[in-house]
Amino acid sequence: MSLPDPQFNQFGKLQHFIDINGLDAAQLTHILDTAEGFAGVNERTIKSVPLLRGKTVANIFFENSTRTRTAFELAAKRLSADVLNVDLVTSSTTKGESLLDTLRVLEALQCDMFIVRHGESGAAHFIARHVAPGINVVNGGDGQHSHPTQGMLDMFTIRRHKGDFAQLCIVIIGDIRHSRVARSDIAALVALGAGEVRVVGPHTLMPADVESLGVEIFPDIDKALVGADVIMGLRLQKERMRSATIPSPGEFYRFYGLSPERLAMAKPDALVMHPGPTNRGVEIAANVADGPQSVILEQITWGIAVRMAVMSIIMGNSEAARATLASNDAAARSTSA
Amino acid sequence: MTTLLLTGIRLQHEQADTRHDLLVENGVITHIETAGVVNPQALPGISDSDEQQLASTTGEPDIITIQTNGLLVLPGFTDLYGRLREPGFSRKGTLASETAAALAGGFTTVLCAPDTQPAIDTPATVELIRQRAADAPGARVIPMAALTVGLDGKQLSELATLKAVGCLAAGQADRPIDNANVLYSAMQYAASVDLPLIMTAHDSQLAANGCAHAGAMATRLGLPGIPVAAESVALARLIELCRETGCRLHISRVSSARAVGMIERAKQDGLLVTADVGIGHLYFTDAQLAGFDSRYHSAVPFRSANDRQALRDGIRRGIIDAICSDHAPHDADASLAPFPDTESGLAVYDHFLPLWLALKPLLELSDEQHLNVVTRHPNAILCDELAPGAILKVGQRADIILIDPDAELTDLSVAATDGTTQGAACAGHGVSAGCNTPLIGIRNLNQCTDEAIPLTGRVHMAIVGGELRRSDY
Repeated sequence: MSLPDPQFNQFGKLQHFIDINGLDAAQLTHILDTAEGFAGVNERTIKSVPLLRGKTVANIFFENSTRTRTAFELAAKRLSADVLNVDLVTSSTTKGESLLDTLRVLEALQCDMFIVRHGESGAAHFIARHVAPGINVVNGGDGQHSHPTQGMLDMFTIRRHKGDFAQLCIVIIGDIRHSRVARSDIAALVALGAGEVRVVGPHTLMPADVESLGVEIFPDIDKALVGADVIMGLRLQKERMRSATIPSPGEFYRFYGLSPERLAMAKPDALVMHPGPTNRGVEIAANVADGPQSVILEQITWGIAVRMAVMSIIMGNSEAARATLASNDAAARSTSA
Repeated sequence: MTTLLLTGIRLQHEQADTRHDLLVENGVITHIETAGVVNPQALPGISDSDEQQLASTTGEPDIITIQTNGLLVLPGFTDLYGRLREPGFSRKGTLASETAAALAGGFTTVLCAPDTQPAIDTPATVELIRQRAADAPGARVIPMAALTVGLDGKQLSELATLKAVGCLAAGQADRPIDNANVLYSAMQYAASVDLPLIMTAHDSQLAANGCAHAGAMATRLGLPGIPVAAESVALARLIELCRETGCRLHISRVSSARAVGMIERAKQDGLLVTADVGIGHLYFTDAQLAGFDSRYHSAVPFRSANDRQALRDGIRRGIIDAICSDHAPHDADASLAPFPDTESGLAVYDHFLPLWLALKPLLELSDEQHLNVVTRHPNAILCDELAPGAILKVGQRADIILIDPDAELTDLSVAATDGTTQGAACAGHGVSAGCNTPLIGIRNLNQCTDEAIPLTGRVHMAIVGGELRRSDY
């Protein structure tokens, strides 16, 4: 028996948001549409809405993060939730038993939602499977597997600028192999029916059978960029630059870096995206990152609305499930009485 | 020693409706006759004619007659790779629990993997295992010597000494020797003391921190991959060093199509190379890891459907000589972690027989081929000449199982012959202490894989060296 997808509750509704794989276009579009409603909140004088009032959201981060954690914190606060930041960046020896123990402690503190970031692929699935009923889990990034809210904020940004995904050619450059962002972006783009998704990079940065994700592999960036509507860079971790993965940051930039000359090969209105933080002069030229086609800062802004959407949807689904079960219970009691 | 008379048995190579009697005296099969020919009362030393048990003056039964009502009698299987967990990991399983589970799987002999704690690298550890195994009424245990001290891949164990105390093979378990010079030396030394090596082809640097086959599934799940090259590169090194040293090399738990091809060529070259595959690898692929299902986390990873097909062809064509269990029982905590942090291995014994039975129609094997891979071939690899081959014969050691191949799968836990209940730790799922198997409650493999393969069959009785050690009949 294959394991059931823990993202869905017994009514088939999203109760956790841990992976874009398993969600269809309609479910992803619902998240994007909901985020659209929250996008306006940011421009109001009073930026919060009361959807999560009285709820406690715990940011449980086993890995360092400033950007993602801050964005989640702000999103939770704009939904009027109380926010608890739990920093668990300790030794790399944090193993299963202690992870489960940590989970139980945080459950005992009666939080309503966990935002989890962990260095191991599958950690969010593990937590979602073992968390006490009634607690919602959002994956803030697990190993090299998934960073679904980043994927959705990228989709939100693309949709705002480009509309229909079916017409788009998206080029993702760099370290696909070790990138959870790339996996979530690809999963979302494929689910939303993107016209063409190309990945570019040396073979050392490509995972095995990358084509099975639904992308086309291009070893040559100059060919890949022709006709591109969206160009997504990925962060190249420092440790990859010092290993046998790539010879040097300089060579990477010369052959895979997004320079102004290369950008000119794409469509004139191509979007330049990057999940950040950027390594200027490695993945991307400074004047491209700061240039008119760049939406890198916009991505960060929309990240708040998208995370508000995700949190409110899963919390709403759980509230609805609880209400249904309670009324079923009451009905059963009155029938038996 | 008790004399055993099995009446009304069915033999695989005979017609389904003919029945035979089989007599075991002093641990050896002495008669196989058409039913009714063997007369227990005519046997020497038998004075009473009680039909079930004839008690001697000491109160011990001299002869046990078992009416089997047509149970199929097969030679007991030999497992070339079972982790019995004792000493060192008795929270995962004990020699008592796992040798009882081995019998439930059809194995009357188990080559015990050396990755115990301490590793099997001294006569003292061999003696400890031997004693604990003797106290447990399960399968016969043959210790596999750790090729290097502590399996550290640095210093050779006392292989000649370990052979003298009963280790019939040596190996490195799941801890490959990284240093080629040490490996070369180890293979030379093993050749000079004529000890077969049971080696897994695994390059730990190419595998890095991988925990799944480097393929589409690992890519989707973001799991660090173990490329096929981690097996083929290590295998090439083992084969070339075998060519150089002339040692007897058995490749344990082959996983890829490429490895099957390399072993075929090594055999064509006349090298003393044999190979086995874990039975799980003949059914499961990396597709089973979907949703981070750590029940399929195996040290030797489940690879693609093409690899699975090549392994099956390897069995059919005789390139792969044997099928082992690769049994790895774990405690519940071992699986309570994100996938990469879970401990690898599946508890296989409780389901080995049904999985083995299903192979015959699946691979269109002859009876002899089907039995050879779990009897004659592994016994030949261990140079165990007394053990039965594919066909039970008079004069062979009485390692026998009595099975019902069509029995529906149920709870395999039975009262052991000493009266204690085995497998209680696993909440009644099976005999092994390990619950880490995806097959609990599975009646057809289409419940967990892409193929509809019904699973049936149960070992009702197992006789080890003439001693009845499992009976639920």
